Amino acid sequence: MSSNRLGVASDDGRPKPPLLAQPSFSWIGVLPFLLFVFFFLILPSLTLFVGAFQDRDGNFTLENIRGLALPNILSAYWVTIRISVTTALMGGIFGFFLAYSLVTGNMPAWVRSSMATFCGVASNFAGVPLAQAFIFTLGRVGLVTVLLRDLFGIDLYDRGFNLYSFWGLSVTYLYFQLPLMVLVITPAIEGLQREWREAAENLGATPGQYWRYIGIPVLMPSLLGSMILLFGNSFGAYATALSLTGGLINLVTILIGSQIRGDVLHNPNLGYALAVGMVVVMSVMMVIYYALRRRSEYWLKR
Amino acid sequence: MSFLILENLSKVFHNVTAVEDFNLSVERGEFISFLGPSGCGKTTTLRMIAGFETPTAGRIILNDKDITHVPPNRRNVGMVFQSYALFPNMTVAQNIAFGLRIRKEPEDKIKGRVAEMLALVHLEDKGNNFPHQLSGGQQQRVALARALAIRPQVLLLDEPLSALDAKIRVALRAEIRSIQRELGITAIYVTHDQEEALSISDRIVVMLQGKIEQIGTPFEIYNFPATNFVASFVGTLNTAEAEVLDPEQGILLMDGVRFISADEDVRTKRRGDKVRMSIRPERLSFAAELHKDNVLDCVIENITFLGSVVRIQVRIGNTKFNMDTFNNPFLALPRIGERSKVTCSKEAVLVLKD
Repeated sequence: MSSNRLGVASDDGRPKPPLLAQPSFSWIGVLPFLLFVFFFLILPSLTLFVGAFQDRDGNFTLENIRGLALPNILSAYWVTIRISVTTALMGGIFGFFLAYSLVTGNMPAWVRSSMATFCGVASNFAGVPLAQAFIFTLGRVGLVTVLLRDLFGIDLYDRGFNLYSFWGLSVTYLYFQLPLMVLVITPAIEGLQREWREAAENLGATPGQYWRYIGIPVLMPSLLGSMILLFGNSFGAYATALSLTGGLINLVTILIGSQIRGDVLHNPNLGYALAVGMVVVMSVMMVIYYALRRRSEYWLKR
Repeated sequence: MSFLILENLSKVFHNVTAVEDFNLSVERGEFISFLGPSGCGKTTTLRMIAGFETPTAGRIILNDKDITHVPPNRRNVGMVFQSYALFPNMTVAQNIAFGLRIRKEPEDKIKGRVAEMLALVHLEDKGNNFPHQLSGGQQQRVALARALAIRPQVLLLDEPLSALDAKIRVALRAEIRSIQRELGITAIYVTHDQEEALSISDRIVVMLQGKIEQIGTPFEIYNFPATNFVASFVGTLNTAEAEVLDPEQGILLMDGVRFISADEDVRTKRRGDKVRMSIRPERLSFAAELHKDNVLDCVIENITFLGSVVRIQVRIGNTKFNMDTFNNPFLALPRIGERSKVTCSKEAVLVLKD
């Protein structure tokens, strides 16, 4: 029988577990992640939360929270939620159909890869460049606006369209919302087995019945997840809206900006409270999302 | 008139012919297997019967009706897929009931039929489970029950056992055959496993490169292969180049060793013609019966124990032949390198067709 400091061989020659446990350093691998979470999630959140309950001198106050009930602030939340829901739904629905046609349309490989690249770029194309691009194309003297007017006699603005309005901003947001939906929903659509559709048809189902009873229920968790991502993407957008409308549309992010930037409305603590309000709205959305997802995933929970 | 007729059926995909001039008549209640290597067109033919592929040419007639261009959801043909294709969001009972619900059958009838199907596949206690909670074998049974629940005119099975392990495969294929006999349903079974096809079918259609090589009972296919490919694809086969020595007497010469063949094809050859001779391993035996037509000197090259069968490789002349013999623990096996004699009847020596 042989022995050593860490382990002892048993009678059958196999080593026994070590007698002295060595310290484990495996946690070092996760340290960068923990530091990232602390500095970029926990610390800013704490600063916001604490700041929301402080006045300019650092004393405790509920004044900022009460300020959230002011009519213009409530209206900002309502407009922001409406625009986020609208663009999440429109981007979600059209993005789903686009992704579906890309996956099932028997298109050449280069078309699919080109579309994937375009969607990757377009989903990140936001802020001032996006706003300028839309102003140059669909603004009052934008290229498309002028071409439509001069060549076809269609004056978009006479017909009620206004780029600097709720719907104008929605169309602009859709430029990044729709490609984002294509990117996130494509893997889920690819996961739908061709045999499920064929089995359904074989059992007498029409394409519509296949989607109603199998396709949509199976995709529902992914659809909900994608929609909540689109909602959050729109809910937190700031630079695009500010550059496009210059504050004409009352969004929460623009209000926060004006409280913190230091113009006439300068009140950083109210800005913190507004941000906490956004966290609450997102939390409510997440709770709704999880509830819906649990219902739609009932078949995976068993 | 036959129950299912495939008439001059062809399918071309982008200038590639997957199925060419396929003709087959299937009687009601028959169990037919399409057997062949990957890419031979057997699944394409099955998918044309199901309606998932439209034939480039030809007709499909089922129960006196031309269904060539009838959409798949109106054919009343049941299909079992290799990947099971169970709907993951539905329980076993809901999967089985799906086709009946689509047909708007009354709820009490659906319940009764689902219970009947669950009993048929011995899964009475799994009705409320979801597919991911079942083993592969159980999932395939559910797929079978789901396909049968709608009382299809024909049951199509596309390599249904390929994803299962060997033991379950053997048990389930016997179960499929037993259910098919019990219900008297016409079935078309696609497989590349020759043992599966031989064990389960009334008739086998052997396919190669989109064409039918031979149609016959398992007995005919195994014992009287019509082509070189069928002979080599179905079962194990010893083959060797030989020269025709005496066409009238059926005498062939291989490496200086004389073989007598009863194959009629030898009679059609001329002296000196080269032929490819074949003998099944189980048709060779040790020289206990010296009265047989061929008694051949050999050297034992290798012995492989396969359980119930022992495969002995012998060298006759310069050519190696496999010989299968039943395992008998009370009989001593020869030793490697030992000289011996093997025999076979003249009926066992066949000449392959080109």
